[in-house]
Order: sequence, then structure tokens, then C-alpha cells
Amino acid sequence: MTVYSFYIFDRHAECIYKRRWLPRPTSVAGKSQIPGAVGSSGQTVRAGDDDAKLVFGTVFSLRNMVRKLGGEEDNFVSYATSQYKLHYYETPTNIKFVMLTDLKSPSMRIALQQIYINLFVEYVVKNPLSPVEHPGGVGVNNELFEESLEQFVTRVLA
Amino acid sequence: MCVSTKLHPRSALAVFSLIIINKAGGLIYQREFQAGLRKLSTNDYLVLAGTFHGVHAITRSITPKLPLQNTASPVASSPGTSAPTTSGFSYPNPGVPVSGLEYLETDKFRLTCFQTLTGTKFLLFTDPMTGSVETIVNKIYELYADYVMKNPFYQLEMPVRCEAFDRHLGAWLRGRT
Repeated sequence: MTVYSFYIFDRHAECIYKRRWLPRPTSVAGKSQIPGAVGSSGQTVRAGDDDAKLVFGTVFSLRNMVRKLGGEEDNFVSYATSQYKLHYYETPTNIKFVMLTDLKSPSMRIALQQIYINLFVEYVVKNPLSPVEHPGGVGVNNELFEESLEQFVTRVLA
Repeated sequence: MCVSTKLHPRSALAVFSLIIINKAGGLIYQREFQAGLRKLSTNDYLVLAGTFHGVHAITRSITPKLPLQNTASPVASSPGTSAPTTSGFSYPNPGVPVSGLEYLETDKFRLTCFQTLTGTKFLLFTDPMTGSVETIVNKIYELYADYVMKNPFYQLEMPVRCEAFDRHLGAWLRGRT
């Protein structure tokens, strides 16, 4: 199972955390060459920030669609295309956790819930220094959270 | 697996409703077969079809791109990896064409989207427990080809009003449950 990326959106539709994992650690050497390679071939280079906005728009629309059809207590869980699978978990406080994985992965709902309970609440919400809202797009800037998320994804979910 | 489906003859195969969206994102067919989902107004269904059309395109464009090792890179790549392309990235499933949303799961239903080569989308809402929706979708596509596309009075991309299609679709789905 491979995790491609992970996003957290707050209740103001702001992306407060995003993290991408390269599926193969061997391609780290090639990573620095990618922007140049893509730019020279004339491809449209999409900033990572736009990616987060597209992900948010997608899950927002799908969540509303699901609520409309299934009723208020229905929850959008995941969707899959021929290439990847997107998992979604929303807390009662409207914080949205999104994870993109490969198609072989089982339901990640529990995992996203665990990230929320064990990592986000413990290290971000309970941290007196971390801001409650993120108006300027500061986002979750917390070493402890990032490290434990890294560990969770590479060890528990691998 | 086989035995259990025989014991419970497709009681779990609840098909809630079917929506057909043309290649421009317009709703051309909507029909409910079993209660289970909320009823929406015609206008809401049109909005839903348009929204889904857009979201479907976005889900295709946010496909993760896996960076490839550059050909100029001195690092020896393992022989098993695919040949590097000039674009610098590959998709997770290189052999399969990139598609938009194919199925969506919620607590209460499962949405299967089948897109034809010409861009028409079939949205089938079923019970989340339903196993192989593919056979149902394929049959619906077959009926659509037979009774809608072969109908000389049907205008392309316009709402489907074909009695024979309605009749055969209803009869076939009733025969399953």
C-alpha cells in the first residue's frame, strides 16, 4: 500500500497542512530535476497550492452531493478512479482529513480518525502555542505532529 | 461466496436510481427504482449532474504524478522499472488509461460511474453491500444502445424519452431482485 499525499482543511476551507510522499525513496535524486524537466517540455506547471484547492473543491462538492442524496447523517467515505483512491474523514468540528492512496489500500477511515485523535488533537489542538485559526495560511507548523505523522504513515500504514 | 448469493437471491442488490449525463454535463435521464435515497427536485438533479460532471474532470486531473528518474541521472535505475518518458512523471497504474471518478462510497449508498467512449456518463446508485455492479452497468449500457441509440426519433444529447428503454430497464431490474 502506498500513500501519495495527505491534506488537512480547517472549517474556513483553508488548507492548514499538506504532505506528499514519494512512493520510491530512490527517486529523491531525481526530485530536484523535475521542475526543470517539466518546465522545459512546455508542460503547465501547477503549483502544489492549486492542487490542495482542487482537492478541497472535489471533496466539498462530493460531500454536499452525498448529504443531499443520503440525508444529513450520511457520510462521504471514499472514491476511487482507475489510478488512485481518495479517503475522507470529517470531524464534528468540520476539520477535513483527506488522504490519497493507491487502489490496493483498504478503507482508511479508521486511520484518518486515529491521525485526528492521536496526533492532531494531542500535538496541535492541545499545544498552547499553536494558533486556533489559520487566517494567513500559516498552517500546522509543528515538528512533533509532522514527525509522528511521518512515523504513522511509514510504519503503521506501510 | 457463490453459495451465499444463491441462498439470498440478490436481496442485497438494491439499485436505488440511475442517472445518465451527456457529454456536456446535462442531465438526460433520471429514474428511481427503489426508495432509499432522498428525492430531489428536477432542478436539483440538473445541478447534481452538472456538478458531478465538473468534479469528474477534476478527479482525473488530481491524479498523483510519480516523478521518474531523469535519463540524465547518473543513478542506475533498477531493471524492473518502466522506461522513463520525456515528460518526467508516470501515473500509479501505467497500463490503465487515466480516468475520473469510478466509484464513490458513503455510509448509505455506493455510486458507480461508467463513462462511455463518447463521454456519456451512467451513474448508478446502489446499496453499499452490492458486489458486482459492473454487470448491471453493462446491461444498462446495452439496453441504452439498443433502445435509445437505435431509436430513429432520438436526438443525440437530448433528454431520453424512449418508452421501450424504460420498459426493458424496469423489467430487467425487477427480474434481478
